Amino acid sequence: MLEIQNLHATVGDREILKGLSLTIKAGEVHAVMGPNGSGKSTLSKILAGSEDYVVTGGSVRFEGRDLLELNPEQRAAAGIFLGFQYPVEIPGVSNMVFLKAALNAQRKQRGEGEIETADFLAWVRHRVKQMSMDPAMLSRGVNEGFSGGEKKRNEILQMLVLEPNLMVLDETDSGLDIDALRIVSEGINAMRAPTRATLLVTHYQRLLDYVQPDVVHVLSGGRIVKSGGPDLARELEEKGYGWLQQAA
Amino acid sequence: MLNRDAYLSAFERYSAQLPAAERQTRSAALRRFIDIGLPTTDLEEWKYTDFDKLAGEAVTLAEPSTQPDLAAWRLADADTHVWLNGMPQSSLSPRNAGGEAFGSSGTDIESVPIRPNAGEGGGAGDASHPGFAALNTAFARPGLQLDLAAGQTLEKPIQALLVTQPLADGEMVHLQHRIRLGENARATVLLHDLGLGDATRWLTQTLDIDLAAGAQLQLIRVQDESAGARSWFQATARLRDGARLDAVQIDFGGGIVRNDWRVALLAPGATTAVHGLFAPTGRTHVDNHTQIDHRAPHCTSREFVRGLAWERAHAVFNGKIVVHPGAQKTDSEQRIANLLLSKQAQINAKPELEIYADDVKCAHGATFGRLDLTALFYLRTRGVPEAAARALLTFSFANQILQHIAWPALRQAVTARFLARMGGGLDAGELT
Repeated sequence: MLEIQNLHATVGDREILKGLSLTIKAGEVHAVMGPNGSGKSTLSKILAGSEDYVVTGGSVRFEGRDLLELNPEQRAAAGIFLGFQYPVEIPGVSNMVFLKAALNAQRKQRGEGEIETADFLAWVRHRVKQMSMDPAMLSRGVNEGFSGGEKKRNEILQMLVLEPNLMVLDETDSGLDIDALRIVSEGINAMRAPTRATLLVTHYQRLLDYVQPDVVHVLSGGRIVKSGGPDLARELEEKGYGWLQQAA
Repeated sequence: MLNRDAYLSAFERYSAQLPAAERQTRSAALRRFIDIGLPTTDLEEWKYTDFDKLAGEAVTLAEPSTQPDLAAWRLADADTHVWLNGMPQSSLSPRNAGGEAFGSSGTDIESVPIRPNAGEGGGAGDASHPGFAALNTAFARPGLQLDLAAGQTLEKPIQALLVTQPLADGEMVHLQHRIRLGENARATVLLHDLGLGDATRWLTQTLDIDLAAGAQLQLIRVQDESAGARSWFQATARLRDGARLDAVQIDFGGGIVRNDWRVALLAPGATTAVHGLFAPTGRTHVDNHTQIDHRAPHCTSREFVRGLAWERAHAVFNGKIVVHPGAQKTDSEQRIANLLLSKQAQINAKPELEIYADDVKCAHGATFGRLDLTALFYLRTRGVPEAAARALLTFSFANQILQHIAWPALRQAVTARFLARMGGGLDAGELT
């Protein structure tokens, strides 16, 4: 589904990604772990089409298409979703308006018709319940006055409504208490399907207890320095990243 | 240089039909206007807004005009009254349910006396400029005259549709509005300036508001004049014990526009919330000055103002809060935010606080910016194309004021008007 080869990217004069390669097949969950500043967030933003970074080398293919040719909205319509580490507040635009604008914009790009309002409302309400959120949030501004945990739940809610094929979740677990972590994880697991893939970017192993990954990668110095099974995450939790950075 | 001859001959025609006493009052006002003229940019309060450069324009008093189709502007749930070129349109506005709106004693609008505007003599009065105030007194016709007795509540909101449709350049329309609410009376009023056609026009309006103890007024003013309009508006409000004024000023149009709001909190418990949204496009110049005077202890004021400017538009905002000696326990907050949407657009915004009491809470802040690029990226990652995302963020900025219009049909109409001006294909029905 996603094939990244020898990706190089810079911000300003600084090279952040230095030859990153990663392949994710449909149905798989991959976790990318690594120390601060290793390029984890950069990777997820580049996949979503951020213009803050310049790709200076390598390729990214998504379902056979050259992803780097697409702008962020085209990537969204193609099925890529980025769960933000720091979701943005948009006061004055309600969550309901936002969700509908997003879904209809994607449908339009895909040549599908607009969704019926009544169907959509029921569809969204069901998912709000699934995320244990207060339905009243739908008429509030997007993330306006939300706590850190509420914002992260709202990211997953958006994901459940938009039904992407590739879910890139950038530190979705940070700032969550145990209950919220469970709810968020259940949301992610509910989306797992043979046709979908997930890329979890995280610092901690804790999320991986709830969302079992198929493959764990360690990103350090802008490259994948080690890949392994779920056990690798536990090993990292025990030993830290130092031994890998030295090895790299 | 003021075109004296044009004003004098317009006045000669107008005053011929007036009773002698009134003619005297008005003629004295006209002489003061001729002496003082229009404001120049030498005055600190007028440094961005140059009416003087237009003082030489030829003017005539506006004539009656053919009645335009106003169906699109009438709000279904309101008691609508129409003024066309300054004249009340009885045929357009039947006096049925709204008859009492013109005075609890059933006063006929034509018999409402014109009073000199406060401060027009250039003394320590209230007028933002004594010349404009005197010009208004010289020519004004009665505008909305609402007088509610104690305890009275208006069932329907009043919509005063103030239409200008000049036949030729330089036509003048001058109106005086007056709202008096007795103790615990309640009303919702919309003053809606609507300019039709492209001809230039001069429009002056004064609004005098007096709220007795416990009275509550929701007042919304939508200024949607033509690009040919030279418009001066001044509201002066006095609030007694526990009275409440919720005022919203929205500016969409006009050529050169100046609005002044003066709100005086005169007794404990008086509260005002002032919201403003200025959204000029093209070459419109819109200048809003507000002054909130805390003249008694335990009063509350809130002022939230947002300006955005497109193309070559210029918006000016000056928000003054004065806490007078003895006005202890004043609770005041002022927030100003501005958004520039083109390189040529300009906004000058200034908070001004004068505090002469020591036990008060006065918060204020002002920001200037462009659209938030992180928010833009966020919307695009959800599939919203860039142009629509920009439109949605611009709407988000403005809607933080629009959502304070408590009258749903009006909020919807104003939102639709904002979106139509903004472009970007957003639909008000989807957003509210």
